Amino acid sequence: MSTFALERDLATQGRVITALAERALRVQLRRAQFLLPSFLLPLLLLAVIASGTSAAQQLPGFPSTGSYVGFVVSGTIMQGTLLAGLTAGIALAGDIEGGFFDRLLSAPVHRASIVLGRVLGTALIGIAQAVLFLTVAIVIGADFSGGAVGIALTILLAALSASAAAGLGATIALRTGSLSLMQNLFPFVFVLLFTAPAFFPRALLNPVLETISVVNPLSYVVEGMRAALFNSPALGSVWAGFAAGIGSVILTCCLAVWAMRSRVRA
Amino acid sequence: MSTRGAVYAGGVGFALWRRSLLELARVRGGLLPTTVAPLIFLLGSLGQFGRLDQLVGFPTTSYIAWLMPLSCLQAAGFAGGATGANLARDIEAGWFDRLLSSPAPRPLLILGPVMAAMTRCLIPVTVILIVGLLIGPGLTGGAFGLLMLYLAAVSFSVVASLWGITLALRARSQQVGPLIQNGVFVAVFLSTAYTPLPFLKGWLAVAAPYNPVTYVLQMGRQATVSGIEVSWAHTWPGLLALAGMILFFGLLALRQLRRVDL
Repeated sequence: MSTFALERDLATQGRVITALAERALRVQLRRAQFLLPSFLLPLLLLAVIASGTSAAQQLPGFPSTGSYVGFVVSGTIMQGTLLAGLTAGIALAGDIEGGFFDRLLSAPVHRASIVLGRVLGTALIGIAQAVLFLTVAIVIGADFSGGAVGIALTILLAALSASAAAGLGATIALRTGSLSLMQNLFPFVFVLLFTAPAFFPRALLNPVLETISVVNPLSYVVEGMRAALFNSPALGSVWAGFAAGIGSVILTCCLAVWAMRSRVRA
Repeated sequence: MSTRGAVYAGGVGFALWRRSLLELARVRGGLLPTTVAPLIFLLGSLGQFGRLDQLVGFPTTSYIAWLMPLSCLQAAGFAGGATGANLARDIEAGWFDRLLSSPAPRPLLILGPVMAAMTRCLIPVTVILIVGLLIGPGLTGGAFGLLMLYLAAVSFSVVASLWGITLALRARSQQVGPLIQNGVFVAVFLSTAYTPLPFLKGWLAVAAPYNPVTYVLQMGRQATVSGIEVSWAHTWPGLLALAGMILFFGLLALRQLRRVDL
């Protein structure tokens, strides 16, 4: 392929990805059943945890971050992005059952673009969630010493987390093609969330969970968010967060493309 | 009602109860979400917030003892809420219209599913109890405490099913499912879900005492929390709260049912 043809192909695929991302975004924002779990449920849990477990700050070893809500909001962002990834999978399963996916397959677009469109749309939702949750946290008393840079880094990490979750959701949707199965996966999102130090520092987790959290990439992402928000390396590593986030996105997107190829072959 | 009428009503109620329960056998993994979600919340919350039991003044030295009744109530609520979602599906499929045109008394059409919710919730509640007791300290409240916990859970499933039925009759669409379950979630968590009242801060400290679920939880916690001993003082507020919620949501459901008729 000549350089010109390659550039043209890349531009076409870029437009396809953008169009599919726009559609994914519209579908998710239009339907209450997608918005409720992704935006309202994490906010509700943030409100409950911030008020219900703030006495934890009295525990020996709990890091001093000024406000408890500021500490737990990273877990809320993580929860939101995971649920956004799941709803992306549910929407894709709906497309498969409804026949829209077959029409996409018959169009002259790369298989990877179909996955990347969904992932990009979910990344944008992750950004919207992070902005909303951080704003709410600031309104109810959080003070982030990391400033604007810390907040920007956290938003980028949220986008990566949402992308990885969307890749995972797409993989399962493409493997199963079942809308009802995807809807029943809702509780399992919380396995990923609770096996990371989402709301408590890793040192204060249950010993079993502390061990499991080491192999959960979300642990590094959520700690990276905290380190960025409070500009404190003691809370985690921003670099480790980005490495874990980017690695997860690449892995889950590859899995989704593989799942799509298997589906097409079948 | 005459004896013959009562027998007929009982037969209709029993048939609808049996139909609702048959779904458990027909739908693969139908009970999975209502059992797995509270179990994951139980184990996850224990892992995350387990050290809260080290706070001075916490009424138990085992955090799972504090969480178990919460998860039981959550499971019962989800099982009850599923009744509403199933009814919405029946409405969409036209099955409920056929029931409406039958000569069966209208209240029986919701009594059957409510009874099914009471039965269905026993499975996840028992699973959670077994898991909790295996890794927790055991039943500090003895047989009476256990009875109170089951009573709280089963009665709460009635509340949740009436709430679900009301919304399903109003929306007449399965899309109302997330709203039903989120309602249960809100009711359960805007209470003393994670810590007792003296440890709550901010708005939740103000809201929780007005949430009837706080007292239902207290009633259930007599079974597992050593600091909440079995007593009438810890029982009657829960009974009163449950009676009030059943009455309120029962009237709402019946009102909605009458509107469907019109």
